[in-house]
Amino acid sequence: MSRATERRRNAAEWLQFGTAGVIVLVMFYPAIWMVYSSFKSNREIFRAPFALPSQWRWENLVEAWNVGGLGTLYFNSVFVTLVAVSMCVLFATAAAFAFTRLEFPGRKLMYRILLIGLLLPPPSVAIALFTQLRDMHLLNTPWALILPGAAWQLAFTVFLMRAYFISIRPDMEEAARLDGANTWEIFWHVSVPMVWPAMLTMVVLNTISVWNELLFALLFITDDAQRTLPVGLVRFSGYHSTDYSLVFAALTITTVPILILYFILQRHVIAGLTATAMD
Amino acid sequence: MAKRFTLATATALLLLTTAAIAQTEVRFTHSITGGASREALDAIIADFEAANPDIKIKEIVFDDDQYSNQGLITQLKSNEVPDIFFEWAGYPVQRDVEAGYAYDLTEAMATDGWKESFSDAVWTDGAGTMVDGKPYLVPLSLDLTNTIWYNKKIFAEHNLTPPKTWDEFVALNKTLAEAGETPIVEGNNEFWPLGNWAGHIAAMVVPADAYVAAFKQEAPFNTPEFEKALNLLVGLHEVGAFNKDMQALGADPAMATFFQEGAVMHPIGSWLVSETGNLADEGFEYSQFNTPPIDPAHPLANSVIGTITGLVVHKNAQHPAEAIKFLKFLTSEASQVKWAESGQMSPVQGVSDKAKLDEQTQAMLALMSGASGIVPPPDNKYPVPVAEAFYQAAAFAASGEKSAKDALVWLDETLAAMGKQ
Amino acid sequence: MLFAAPAMLLFATFVLLPLGASVYYAFTFWDGFSAPRWAGFANFARALTDPTFLMSFVHVVFYIAATLIFEVTFGLVMAVLLNSDRRGFSLMRGMFFAPVVLSMSAAGVLWKFVLDYRTGLLNSTLRSVGLGDWAQPWLAQPETALLFICIVSGWKYAGFYMVIFFAALRRIPRNLYEAARLDGANGVQQFTAITLPMLKQNVIVCILLAVTGGFAGFDLFFTMTNGQPFGATEVPATWIIKQAFDQNQIGYGVALTVVLTVVVSLISIAYLKISERGNVTRY
Repeated sequence: MSRATERRRNAAEWLQFGTAGVIVLVMFYPAIWMVYSSFKSNREIFRAPFALPSQWRWENLVEAWNVGGLGTLYFNSVFVTLVAVSMCVLFATAAAFAFTRLEFPGRKLMYRILLIGLLLPPPSVAIALFTQLRDMHLLNTPWALILPGAAWQLAFTVFLMRAYFISIRPDMEEAARLDGANTWEIFWHVSVPMVWPAMLTMVVLNTISVWNELLFALLFITDDAQRTLPVGLVRFSGYHSTDYSLVFAALTITTVPILILYFILQRHVIAGLTATAMD
Repeated sequence: MAKRFTLATATALLLLTTAAIAQTEVRFTHSITGGASREALDAIIADFEAANPDIKIKEIVFDDDQYSNQGLITQLKSNEVPDIFFEWAGYPVQRDVEAGYAYDLTEAMATDGWKESFSDAVWTDGAGTMVDGKPYLVPLSLDLTNTIWYNKKIFAEHNLTPPKTWDEFVALNKTLAEAGETPIVEGNNEFWPLGNWAGHIAAMVVPADAYVAAFKQEAPFNTPEFEKALNLLVGLHEVGAFNKDMQALGADPAMATFFQEGAVMHPIGSWLVSETGNLADEGFEYSQFNTPPIDPAHPLANSVIGTITGLVVHKNAQHPAEAIKFLKFLTSEASQVKWAESGQMSPVQGVSDKAKLDEQTQAMLALMSGASGIVPPPDNKYPVPVAEAFYQAAAFAASGEKSAKDALVWLDETLAAMGKQ
Repeated sequence: MLFAAPAMLLFATFVLLPLGASVYYAFTFWDGFSAPRWAGFANFARALTDPTFLMSFVHVVFYIAATLIFEVTFGLVMAVLLNSDRRGFSLMRGMFFAPVVLSMSAAGVLWKFVLDYRTGLLNSTLRSVGLGDWAQPWLAQPETALLFICIVSGWKYAGFYMVIFFAALRRIPRNLYEAARLDGANGVQQFTAITLPMLKQNVIVCILLAVTGGFAGFDLFFTMTNGQPFGATEVPATWIIKQAFDQNQIGYGVALTVVLTVVVSLISIAYLKISERGNVTRY
């Protein structure tokens, strides 16, 4: 889309810009407030909630990092998210490939079964899953979050990947097959490069979900050393609940990196969602 | 050839020695997240590890609300059970024994005079440390479950002194409310803070046998006496005594609010003392008074509400021997002196005399020994679902959600639907 | 077939297996420690007469309705409003989506502070402009607690739906609008005649996501109020977790989840059938 930047805006466009701008700013303000409040002292937060900090106290962030053990929490969250998302997107793409490009008995049935995942509320199996993970000796390990995390994202991911596959004609793959390539080669060398944008989008969406997952992380992990960010944050804010500056600092540290990452990858998300067309 | 041989031997020796000094790890879960008591505990653990280099104590800590909700349960049900876990005396210990979680300490207690080192009071029937005559709970602290802490400075500003009767108490709440202060702050999100207090108030108003029968689900709660008890809370609500966000506030934030002078009084337990260093500013002056007598003729008019807290060894503990060794160390006189000086009331004999207790702990000890009786908190003595339903009814009344009568009607209905626990 | 295998295996092990186990446990009395005892339909009977559970459905339906307004509709409106190639719009879209990226617990914690009675941003603002009387303990009052949780959820998720609709808007061919304008249609008419029908499929999917997501709602409710005050913000998921973990009644907790799952499935299937009638959707 070329930028229509040369033409001057008319009144309607200014109205659009203005209205949108006001709404967006109001919505975004709490996030901004959280960030600059984390540099204030508690007293300042109470006395002058709106003002910018008189002194930018970076030591708040350092304290929050240490007291909250944010380093460990970050590491655990990164590890769990990285592995779970990779597994999920890979498996889902393969499955979507199978459901749309390959013929085999039970294809439709399998897909329908997978769709059940879209309807299930995760809390509904939390208890049974707890017992199951215990019997599998996976409790308190990162795998307790990685494997169910990936599994529960599968339905949504397959759903979207399949839609994307359908929107692309199978011409390239058929040509490759005529050239004598086997299924594996077709998948890796033809299909994957084609659906790559959608895969990227799913990576972003899945990362948001897995990174922020709370319920399973709360129930399946009890060791401090294995804990992930969302749970750590809740516990931290419970104990230090009147130490506003500390909690805001912790919140800032845990959310700003994700926000920055998101802003950088923004284009891909929108491009990917456009492509998958949500049909 | 010679080189390889030496290398191999060296490696083998190294492995052997490493195995020899391999550490046994004892898993210890509790809910003491910080404050002076946590420091004392950590110091005691450090002393123990120094004296026993082959044992390492691993602490798994949750905050109060989380520990009681899922923190302990998820660990007990997992396949890496804690060797030692924090527990409250009474019903919780009984439940643990019945579920097969508690290690019988009869033998351990009989050696080295361990049992005798504690004060006699902790081994009485009502203490709740034993089930079927066998000890399961190693007592660690005497808890004053609920007393009314107050800000000395604000009291002085309004010329108030600790009330001698309930009516005086209501009056001073009214004075404070009219002066624009928040008289009482309570963080009742999880129901137990106010609930414990309500349990004590009810015990001071309702005849003992009716009280016990109701909690055992042998008689209804909807009686004139219980109604009178809940109406006392309603009365406080009507003079504006409670903080408006009582039900939305957690226990910890409420305590912090008290320390930051956001309210004048805070009815909570003895553990507040050890948090002072953490949450209060320098020079914060506070004290406490027991819930004043409501009905002077009642046998429990001058009672306190308290319980024993301690540690249970898990029946399937990986390292019971080491766990018991640590517990004996923890309850030795030297360790207990440290413990008491952090603001706890020690159950071990002679400690209170030896330790340099702060004035708050001394006052509480005096209160407990001078009381006409110790009422156990409902959720320690009776089935937890019943106690919690009672706590909810009390919350209904104190927040003005329901009248006292309606709250009790609701309580009886809920308990009937629940069935006998 | 092999290509679908890893996904199916993972799904079967960690989604279907616990689901099946849940159904079994629902028929037992079990506290998670001792052996389960057979209960027949007792748990289900209790579930269907449990006043808090039934109330939680009322709350969650209210929440879903609010979601449809604060998130889906608002997201659609913002998608249209932010649909421009002019400078600054890309940044605004990013800012609007940003709260989605936060964890529910971070959002919950942040807003808990904003709504705090004594020191929160909202009440401080009201007091500073002389409207101190309007300051309420927002999360402590049954009337306002649920509403505010819905508002926070809206704050967090409107951006998600905005992005979905925005992507769809981009795919509508420009010449349709040109043709309509030449025919004399104004903005509103263009919206109703062209935009809405083209978005119909997206709207259907978004409503489904809102409904299923709503029933599963846990994180925000747990972090902000955990059912308080007095169950005014109790939703099925928080009640289920309370029964299973806090109250140690696993059999009952699981029976509740079975009821919840059945309800959600029925609603979703019915919804899909109805929406399918006007469409060719390939399943």
